[in-house]
Amino acid sequence: MMTRFILILSTCIVLAVPLLFPATNSPAATERPPAPVTITLQWLPQSQFAGYYVALDKGFYRKRGLEVKIRHAGPEQDSLASLVDGSADFATTFLTPALRRRDSRLPLINIAQIVHRSTTMLIARKQSGISSIMDLNGKRISLWKGDLGVPFQAVLTSHEITPSRIFDQNYSVNLFLLGGVDACSAMYYNEYNMLYQTGLNEGDLVTFPLRDYGADIPEDGIYCLESTWNNRPQQCRAFRQATLEGWRYALAHPEEALHSVMKRVFDAHLPTNRSHMRWMLEKILPAIIPGTGDSWQAGVLSPDDYAKAVELMKRQGIIHRAPSYESFHPTGGSHVP
Amino acid sequence: MFRNLRIGPRLVLLTLLGGSLVVGTITGFCYFFGSRQIEQDMREKAISVALGTASQIEVVQRGVEKVLSGCAARIQDSAASPERVATILQDTVAKNPEIFGAAFAYASDGSRQHAPYVYRSGAHLLRKDLATDNYHYDVWDWYTLPRDLQRPVWSEPYFDKGGGGTLMVTYSAPLYQAEGSGRKLLGVVTCNVSLNWLTTLLKSIRFGETGYAFLVSKNGAYICHPRQDYVVKETLFSAAEEAGRPELRTIGRRMTAGETGFIPLRNLVSNAPSHLAFAPVPATGWSVSVVVSDAELLAPVVSLSRSVAAVGAAGFGILLLITLFIARTITRPVRLLDEATATLALGDLDAPLPNIPGNDEIAHLAESFSRMRIELKRSMAELQRTTAAKQKIESELEIARSIQMSLVPRTFPAFPDRPEFDLYAELHPARAIGGDFYDFFMLDQNRICIAIGDVSDKGVPAALFMAVVRTFLKAIWRDEESPAKTLRRLNDELAEDNATCMFVTLFCAVLDLRNGSMRYACGGHNLPYILGRDGTVRCIKRLQGVTVGAMEGMIFAEGEERMVPGEVFFLYTDGISEAMNQAEELFGEERLKDALQCFAGEASVSDLVEDVRNRVESFTDGAEQSDDLTMVAFRYLGLPER
Repeated sequence: MMTRFILILSTCIVLAVPLLFPATNSPAATERPPAPVTITLQWLPQSQFAGYYVALDKGFYRKRGLEVKIRHAGPEQDSLASLVDGSADFATTFLTPALRRRDSRLPLINIAQIVHRSTTMLIARKQSGISSIMDLNGKRISLWKGDLGVPFQAVLTSHEITPSRIFDQNYSVNLFLLGGVDACSAMYYNEYNMLYQTGLNEGDLVTFPLRDYGADIPEDGIYCLESTWNNRPQQCRAFRQATLEGWRYALAHPEEALHSVMKRVFDAHLPTNRSHMRWMLEKILPAIIPGTGDSWQAGVLSPDDYAKAVELMKRQGIIHRAPSYESFHPTGGSHVP
Repeated sequence: MFRNLRIGPRLVLLTLLGGSLVVGTITGFCYFFGSRQIEQDMREKAISVALGTASQIEVVQRGVEKVLSGCAARIQDSAASPERVATILQDTVAKNPEIFGAAFAYASDGSRQHAPYVYRSGAHLLRKDLATDNYHYDVWDWYTLPRDLQRPVWSEPYFDKGGGGTLMVTYSAPLYQAEGSGRKLLGVVTCNVSLNWLTTLLKSIRFGETGYAFLVSKNGAYICHPRQDYVVKETLFSAAEEAGRPELRTIGRRMTAGETGFIPLRNLVSNAPSHLAFAPVPATGWSVSVVVSDAELLAPVVSLSRSVAAVGAAGFGILLLITLFIARTITRPVRLLDEATATLALGDLDAPLPNIPGNDEIAHLAESFSRMRIELKRSMAELQRTTAAKQKIESELEIARSIQMSLVPRTFPAFPDRPEFDLYAELHPARAIGGDFYDFFMLDQNRICIAIGDVSDKGVPAALFMAVVRTFLKAIWRDEESPAKTLRRLNDELAEDNATCMFVTLFCAVLDLRNGSMRYACGGHNLPYILGRDGTVRCIKRLQGVTVGAMEGMIFAEGEERMVPGEVFFLYTDGISEAMNQAEELFGEERLKDALQCFAGEASVSDLVEDVRNRVESFTDGAEQSDDLTMVAFRYLGLPER
């Protein structure tokens, strides 16, 4: 009885305060100091992350009460490791490694799917006589190791292609350029243009985008630990919304976004250039913000894509179990704006 | 188009056009051939610099390759003891200043990694193991490329963090150990070389003020370039794309393909028109380029062309001054002449003409003008004189005419009291007085004398001569009473002392009014006609007789004729028969006879004469006659019935 009374009373007070002080209508968020949040992006600064930079530079995080710090992982560091050691609240990674780590009992939650379509492809020189994917049979190819190589392996298996030898591909396409392999793995937005920037023309190359061969696996997503999601769901949602706003802004203002990217590229002394970053931005944006013909929603991992990825990973024997769509991607079904 | 211009401006304009054409052509030729020659020279020079630089780089790189292969051989011999390997690496780095550091990475089986590395730090050599928890070399090109390609590899240049941010390039070679029938990878031996020396070398290559050299890797990445922000980050192709210059991509492909060339382009530093020479570095597949600004390349030609143009322009200026001077020397006298002739035209022939010295056309023209003026003056004077003379002549003619007219009887009817005959005479003097005359007088109560003559000369002398002839004739006739004798004596009188050699044609007749008998003599005159009453016309008989007064002692015959009453005796001078029309046809005796024939019957003699004159005048139709028209018509009527 007493408890009920107090509850009613307190409710009355809460409701009365705005009535008593109508002038002070500032949002509660700005009254509180912004919450410090750290995100680890899975690779070195480049246009792949333009939306995050724009959201930070344009104050989209701040206006949602987040003081975001962006860190970059790289060849020597895994982005998910920063979640494990607690040095970051959020981290980006591809869907495949996320599923694998979830399988090995790291409680990852996808709070936003950023890159919805596969941008990966196999590239060969036309000169080598390769014109269809079946021509890769008996050829030397280089594939990325680990999680990134999973969809490639899946395509090779499903097409019953047996290369003469598979080389490990790491961070460069030099083995391909030096003629060590006939075909190599590539992201359309990255390696493909790197080859173009070494003087190879579009007509010199033949490409096999994996999405055309039954392996259209979504790529970048934003992940956090289950505990973070459970304890600070509002922060997670705010981060998700701000990041998507950043990407939308980048789509509308590509040169401004490019400026945000190049500033970080320059600070990091990376051996890349503006025209490459422009290409990367142009090519990755259509996989992030849906166009008129796309059925998916920005930020939402489609249940179908999720199911396909799980099925493919299981088929490849990489994972044995997967969480339900709702528990893996709780923001998906809730249709949070 | 130049017709409307005055001579001066026309000359200047034409000189300007011609001169500009010549100067322009010469300058153009100079520039064209000069620039072609220079371009040719520069092509060879630039290519040789590029090739020279390429071979310098090549020498260093081949040196490094040799050092590393020596090092690798020693590592192979050392049975791969890590301690021994480190010593060999230290030895290698110490002895080869171009090598910044050297490492040997043991073939990795995935878990265990070990790579002793010796590198410079200031004056010291330090050692460390490249493999750490965070650094697994088996994912990096320097290790994987020689392993996978099974051959030594020069890496793409990179900025090395460990090396203090210096631009480095790595050379790595796989090292094998025989194992059974095949071989087993022992490890990869590698060394990194600072490219500072290369940057210095390329910076030292200068072509003029703005020329520069640059170096690109096999992948087209800039290794050395005056734009430091390009190095490592940009490739030939990204820069081409960023600059929006697709042609640079084509050039870039030629460079990375190891070609040698010399081509024109706008450079990426100043965007100025330039030429680019490129040559490959075979050891690494790099390409050295030398860029020369066209402005500097062609500076000597431009300067030469400028000098040529300047000299040409100066010459041209002088030419223009000369032309102006020439134009002035022509136009000034012409203008003076023009003004002077304007004065002349007004009639002032005494106005002085400008004095134009020299022997050219203008001077000749002035001289001609001067002569013309003198001639004009002379002609004017002449004209005045002749006008005066003409006036004098006119007055003389007037005198002569009045003499002539006063000498012939002009009162008609001349003998109103004589019914036996009717007589009418007419003399129309020509403008120049022909010297015609006629006369008639009663010799006695029954005889009438009729004479007609034509003095050979004209004018006053003729008139005077006529007067003389008439006086003589009248006087002599009264003495002699015979026409022939009269003519004979008249001839002798006139021929004597005839200094002027004048003579006269003369016809004279004496007619007895009582019976109509007539005696006559003719001195070279036209024979008169007799018109019968029935309209017949007959000529009287021709007699001997020449012109009177020409020569002494001439004999004249005398004829006789009888007229019946009603007949008309018609005398005339050659002014009638030889009257000439515009077509220079003579009136002639036939026409005269026709005229006379129409006049038979009772018509008066004055009508007859008037009719003949009318006919003559209508025939001549206004053509001026040179001779007098003289006619005498005499109708014999016979004695009246008593």
